Amino acid sequence: MADAEEGPTGSVSEPLDLVRLLLDEVVFVKLRGDRELKGRLYAYDSHMNLVLGDVVETIYLIDEDDEDEDIKTTTKKVGNVICPR
Amino acid sequence: MPDMAEPRKSSSTYGRDDDPLTYFFKTLIDHEVTVELKNDIQIRGTLKSVDQYLNIKLDDIQVVEELKYPHLSSVKNVFIRGSVVRYVHLPAAAVDVPLLEDATRREAANQAGKGK
Amino acid sequence: MENGTQAEGKDPSSFLSEIIGNAVTVKLNSGVVYKGELQSVDGYMNIALEKTEEYVNGVKRRAYGDAFVRGNNVMYISAD
Repeated sequence: MADAEEGPTGSVSEPLDLVRLLLDEVVFVKLRGDRELKGRLYAYDSHMNLVLGDVVETIYLIDEDDEDEDIKTTTKKVGNVICPR
Repeated sequence: MPDMAEPRKSSSTYGRDDDPLTYFFKTLIDHEVTVELKNDIQIRGTLKSVDQYLNIKLDDIQVVEELKYPHLSSVKNVFIRGSVVRYVHLPAAAVDVPLLEDATRREAANQAGKGK
Repeated sequence: MENGTQAEGKDPSSFLSEIIGNAVTVKLNSGVVYKGELQSVDGYMNIALEKTEEYVNGVKRRAYGDAFVRGNNVMYISAD
């Protein structure tokens, strides 16, 4: 898909270049607090604030009775901003 | 006393001194957004102001799942510190995707090498 | 003084630039481990990995083609 070598302005020399190549692609984001997002990457900044579209969020909750099983809850949202930390 | 009504004096209107994300947020002023906090409370309201920290001012607010969180039912407007925000849910129609992506690419070119 | 390996003990950031392209293990504060090929690192310890595998409690959970790890979550980076 995304090719790594694109010349001076399009090269992958630092980690954020990888994120730039993912603009307008569907990305998978792991957040703190056992949350995951899948959505199309519209924007990001150096703090890793993100704007995502057509987002599906998955929150993992531990079932008290059965520690081995994670319960999955999924909520759908459209057009989204995440703040990190 | 500092004017708490306006998080950042010089930027009450769209300013080119803003970083692209702040600028983008300012284009959503007067739109209805839902702010989801890290304590799971969700507040819907009209976006009145945003600053560089993504501090947010909302008017005509309404708490989603009010029965679960009754304590804010008499509050009309809020100032939310950016650091307690998990998500801001945006009206999809107000998001100009190509513009956002272009602004992000431009900022990426600007920022290149800063983290070295 | 001499540690004999390819990353002659200079300073931490030269260690990082010397192991670019190598297979590495990245452990996060949450305990989750990522193994992959180190594509790049920056001054915040943001990391780009290729051919990444994710391990939770020592068990392989997922694989990613490319992965970006935000620096604030990193406990350590180790050259395999």
